[in-house]
Amino acid sequence: MIVLDKVDKIFPGTTVPAVKQVSFQVDEGNICVFVGPSGCGKTTILRIINRLIEPTSGDIYIKGIKVSDKEVNPDHLRREIGYVIQQIGLLPHRTVEQNVALVPRLLKWPEEKIKPRVKELLDTVGLDPDEVIHKYPFQLSGGMMQRVGVARALAADPPIMLMDEPFGAVDPIVRGRLQDEFLRLQREMKKTICFVTHDINEAIKMGDHIVIMNKGELVQHGTPMEILSEPANEFVKDLIGADREIKLLDLTRSSEIVNRNMDIPDEVREKDCFISSIAPVQRALEKMMKKNSDLVGVQDGEEEIGTISWDDIKKLINKLSGDD
Amino acid sequence: MDFEMERFISALIDRSPPHALVHLQLVLIPVIIAFLIAFPVAVLLTRRRFVKYTDRVMTFFNMGQTIPPLAIIAIFFPFLGLGREPALFALTIYALLPIARNTLAGLKGVPQEVKEAARGVGMSEWEMLMRVEIPLSMPVVMAGVKISVVLTSGTAALGALVGGGGMGAVIFAGIDFFRPELIVAGTLIIGAIAIILDRIITLIDYMLTPPHMKM
Repeated sequence: MIVLDKVDKIFPGTTVPAVKQVSFQVDEGNICVFVGPSGCGKTTILRIINRLIEPTSGDIYIKGIKVSDKEVNPDHLRREIGYVIQQIGLLPHRTVEQNVALVPRLLKWPEEKIKPRVKELLDTVGLDPDEVIHKYPFQLSGGMMQRVGVARALAADPPIMLMDEPFGAVDPIVRGRLQDEFLRLQREMKKTICFVTHDINEAIKMGDHIVIMNKGELVQHGTPMEILSEPANEFVKDLIGADREIKLLDLTRSSEIVNRNMDIPDEVREKDCFISSIAPVQRALEKMMKKNSDLVGVQDGEEEIGTISWDDIKKLINKLSGDD
Repeated sequence: MDFEMERFISALIDRSPPHALVHLQLVLIPVIIAFLIAFPVAVLLTRRRFVKYTDRVMTFFNMGQTIPPLAIIAIFFPFLGLGREPALFALTIYALLPIARNTLAGLKGVPQEVKEAARGVGMSEWEMLMRVEIPLSMPVVMAGVKISVVLTSGTAALGALVGGGGMGAVIFAGIDFFRPELIVAGTLIIGAIAIILDRIITLIDYMLTPPHMKM
């Protein structure tokens, strides 16, 4: 869907490239997260994709079309790509309605199509249309503003979204909620998303695919599981942090390590120590600690499918972290 | 010098009104022309291609205000002679700076993230200028217009020295003939013109101010 081919960017007046020979591909319907310390070039990559920054060399293809071509009008290109930034950048002198309708109006949609679309979008991002539609951005809370920012990016139903630390400006509780809601939304929308963050936890949570960058270079890319279980070097290990194993547990579904057809002891039943098979293994660990049990029962809906023991989890950790 | 009330009132009511009308022209015409020059020029100076000329152009506008209008009239005397035109010319040059400077400041004050987002959703440079940058900078621009109007209201009195007319004619007559009534009447009316114009522009400013800045 999105392909970058040997992209370089050297900003005028500097000698060190901000982006060095970066090539990768984002598949359709995937969230690809770029993660790394400040100045690693992740935001530059994002802005190169929608040509807010022109690359020094290299090519960018979207759906097989070479969009880095001089003949492609960058303004028109950007109208086809949703864009969300941390500072949100709502137009302060326009109402919520006008902000969300910005791209449809640039694309000259008929007015009678725009009005219901705005309401639908506000609804989608969890805002009450009647309450906020005529408000100005300064009358909204940070979380609400960010929702409007996402609604604006989604307005013309672009197949691609670029999101630069979209949930970075809100407090951790609201951030978690926005992440969850966005993931739920994405399950229906199936957009192709490039997502920038400096927070590895957010990357693991949001990403189907993670691209780790440092000093303008692509250090490692792969699924969250691949990155966590086989970090390419010390830099990636440091970035992931000391709680790598715990994070791995959060990425593994209980159904993957469940001992099927094992009888569930009465003790487990008495303590009501059950988890769902789609819950991460970390949830099983939490349950064990909370209920003071070495064994949890696993349910698939109403059906009991087996057990997970403390030893199973230890084995999993050893396997994933490659220490066995 | 005696101050005669009767003469003062006659100066205010009978003598001043025609001069006040001319004075109003000496203020409004230069400010309008100055706006038509300084505003687009300042807008251009914030465009990437022209940024490098900012210092040079602003130096020119600065000179326009530091050189006294009378000196400008003297310099351009061989071309423009005396009368209304050279007065309008000098006052126009005098009125340029505040408008240009505030337009620059206003446009530079538009938040970076708003411009970034506007570009990011696909606004062209022109659309962004017309729909985002100019509306958001309007309060600062209008403050500059107001400064220009008030400055020009006072300075326009000098127009009378070169035959341009205006309230200066009344004041200088008062000085020449030792009639303090005329001086006071002329000064009062200039003050009134400045205040009235200031109020009118404040009203226009309010209408142009983006809604979120009014609340």
